[in-house]
Amino acid sequence: MGTDDKESAAASRLHKATELICKVGEELAFVMPGEDASLLPINRFVLDLEDLPATDAPATWTAGLKIARTWLDEILDGSGKFSEHHIRLFNGWHAYMSSVLDAWPEGGNMPAWPPDWPKPAAPVAGKPVAATPATAPVAVVSATPSAPPASSTAAPAPAGNEPSIRLNLEEDLDLLREFHAESLELLQSIEQGVLVLESTPTDAETINSIFRAFHTFKGGAGFLHLDAPRNLAHELETLLDLVRRSELSINSGIINLILAGADALEQFTEAIAAQLQGVDAGAPIVVPTSEIIRRAKAAARGEFAPPPAPAIAAPPPATVSQALPAAPAAELAKPAQAVSEPVPQPAPPVKATASPPAPAREAVGGDPAAGFVKLDTAKLDSLVDLVGELVVAQSMVVQNPEVQSIVSLQFVRQLRQLSRITGDLQRTAMSMRMVPIRGAFQKMTRLVRDLAASQQKQVQLLLEGEETELDRNIVEKLGDPLIHMIRNSVDHGIESPAERTAQGKPAQGTIRLSAAHQRGGIVIRITDDGKGLNPDRIRAKALERGLIRPDAQLDESEIFSLIFLPGFSTAETVTDLSGRGVGMDVVRRNIESLRGKIEIQSVPGQGAKFTILLPLTLAIIDGMLVGVGEDRYIIPTLSIRESFRPQPGMISTIQGSGEVVSVRGRQTPLLRLGRHLGRPTKASNPEDAIIVVVESGDAARGLLVDELLGKQEVVIKSLGQTFQHQNLLAGSAVLGDGSVGLILDVDTLVKAPGQQKVSATATPTSVP
Amino acid sequence: MTSSPPNANSSLAKAGRYLTFSLGAESFGLPVLNVREIIRLCPITPVPRMPEYIKGVINLRGTVIPVLDLRAKFQMPVAAYGERACIIVVQLRNPAGGSTLIGAIVDTVEEVVQLGETHIEATPDFGGSPGTQFILGLATLNGGVKTLLDIEKIFLEDGPIVISQTLKN
Repeated sequence: MGTDDKESAAASRLHKATELICKVGEELAFVMPGEDASLLPINRFVLDLEDLPATDAPATWTAGLKIARTWLDEILDGSGKFSEHHIRLFNGWHAYMSSVLDAWPEGGNMPAWPPDWPKPAAPVAGKPVAATPATAPVAVVSATPSAPPASSTAAPAPAGNEPSIRLNLEEDLDLLREFHAESLELLQSIEQGVLVLESTPTDAETINSIFRAFHTFKGGAGFLHLDAPRNLAHELETLLDLVRRSELSINSGIINLILAGADALEQFTEAIAAQLQGVDAGAPIVVPTSEIIRRAKAAARGEFAPPPAPAIAAPPPATVSQALPAAPAAELAKPAQAVSEPVPQPAPPVKATASPPAPAREAVGGDPAAGFVKLDTAKLDSLVDLVGELVVAQSMVVQNPEVQSIVSLQFVRQLRQLSRITGDLQRTAMSMRMVPIRGAFQKMTRLVRDLAASQQKQVQLLLEGEETELDRNIVEKLGDPLIHMIRNSVDHGIESPAERTAQGKPAQGTIRLSAAHQRGGIVIRITDDGKGLNPDRIRAKALERGLIRPDAQLDESEIFSLIFLPGFSTAETVTDLSGRGVGMDVVRRNIESLRGKIEIQSVPGQGAKFTILLPLTLAIIDGMLVGVGEDRYIIPTLSIRESFRPQPGMISTIQGSGEVVSVRGRQTPLLRLGRHLGRPTKASNPEDAIIVVVESGDAARGLLVDELLGKQEVVIKSLGQTFQHQNLLAGSAVLGDGSVGLILDVDTLVKAPGQQKVSATATPTSVP
Repeated sequence: MTSSPPNANSSLAKAGRYLTFSLGAESFGLPVLNVREIIRLCPITPVPRMPEYIKGVINLRGTVIPVLDLRAKFQMPVAAYGERACIIVVQLRNPAGGSTLIGAIVDTVEEVVQLGETHIEATPDFGGSPGTQFILGLATLNGGVKTLLDIEKIFLEDGPIVISQTLKN
């Protein structure tokens, strides 16, 4: 079995290599002297070729890839255009590599190394360990070991002042867009790779993937003549290349350097994005890079240059360093051996065969071959909308009385099949909008690391349920609130190591960030083992700020929720109050704009827990359909606390503030929905009606409606410009019978002024 | 088009195709270019706390669009909708780009007519009376006078407008 597997893996790799070489051949047909057409695709394919496992490749193959890399770097680092010379070389290369591929499986004679090519710069891999008795061509053997990377000679010396770049928006618009999109992905994979490195610094796959990301970035930037980012990427690439070839062992200095470099590149990318959107178009972009380049060069020489005074990203005291120096150099060298070790090696055990990618790898970038399609999100949204309509139309057909009167078993079966297919289609379409929450979570790792370092705290962040999927629109908007809350946990929750030890806690604090599906929604929890919230101090602070009355009776959870009130915290309370405060009102507003809720639990001295409940998607809500007279309205189920038929005596009028309904001893203000909306109602007596208690933030309100008509998932539709001045309705939805239902804005209803019982009919107010 | 150069004071209607319809005894026309489709009167979901002329919203094959009552908008006497009442779905260009669909309830839709420049006269000036800015011009056709409406201006204007007075000759 084992040999079979190995053979089939080898065969599939050979197949892939053949395919890629063919693609290079196709691209070569488009190459013109003095033009850059096809340069990037060829670069891409060569990168892919380099990625193929090389353990048992013939030496000629490895050497051939190296030489192609050298030429590509020459072009990318230079004019960015093909010269006649290079075209000739590449055409020869394509022919050469094709014949290597032909000879490879037969184990026949390898074609001779073309005499006009430079001799391979580095020693090629040892003889193939597989059955193929390929003989290495003569020319290969003489190379010196560990020659400096060919591209390092092109390293530009940064001038004293920071170089600036200018975008050629007119000519390169499309290319810049592509470059920008690609850069974002590359930067993300760099950042994630660095996080993996912090725990497993010797992970060859990860080092390689970061190396490649910088390399690709360099290629793209060089191609667009963006010299400053190109040079920076080049230096970092050189540095990582040394690490990759085990000539340098990785340490926290290098990791910080990579992060600083990635930050600078990100600034470039952001500036490019801004200009692409027409902000300051054409203005020079300056991002300080010379300092990082200087440090990278020093690090490449083996010197560790300390970062300038205010560290860009200081190494955190514990988490990183403890993991790093422990790595034995030998282990680091192992995965790289296959490529750079001059001595032929017998096939090492499983470890070096590169077939099972480490689990960390998957977190980094996923399998590039897994087949993804980039898609305009507007198209996706409209697809989801249309499918939503299809489902509604389908249920209209099924519910049509004339259709229902058809007596035919076959027809019923067909209808059922139609329902099943539309249901499946809807689920699939919805799932296309779903993305794992991982992206939003992993940013927090970086945040915690930086924050902890700057405050000399030791904090570890544990992530759970990163694979939980939710609507991409929600994931995008979740970033800000998460940052606020995590920041608060580190700033105010986790104590200093000394304080923690004194209390018998481990010196390192733990923040747990988890996501899970629950009750048709998503629950996100942020738990820390810090000092928790102090109800007495929060109460005192709220009193001082005039947010509560001195005689207010508040239970603990009501006190905790005070921190969400705007005006609860100002800058000076941040350090002095044990509770959290900064921007918590913003957090709640953001969560509520996503139609979510947030709750707090806390045990003094043991930590706090924030729970965020979110809907799975913004396009569909679970709604309660209520009837008021002839009208039907939708109330988002997430806002409903309870609903019941009032008993006589439950409703009373309080002079000056309208009616209240008393629910289990609590007085909840009541709003007669029909009267409030200026619409006729059926029930003349509250006892014949239903009260739906809705909440928004801390406030609750009972809505008096005629009847409950049922729960329904509805696709939310905007009401458009005509109704933009009203805030009574949050939107509309097409109901099962094809008519339109209006979705009530619970927030507005809860805050609406109380009604006096005497007021006869509410006068409809006109739009402003 | 060969229309005369734009006049600063009056927006002269252009020759072209118009959809004509009636409200009560009066007859109107609007540029066919603005008309997306004509649908039969269907159940309208009323939107609370809206001016009387906004009847509510309907589902136009998945898009929720507002429906206006043109009689109410023009402050004409209210009458029950007859058998032949229709909703004309009008497409309006947004100043900010894109377009909006709005339905307008009319008593009857008459026909689509081709109006040449000879048929169209500029809006008579009734001594600065309100409403003239909503009128593209007057067309005389088969002995009757049709008021050609500037539908975009009408729908962009919040609140009811006075238009029928301008026609009392």
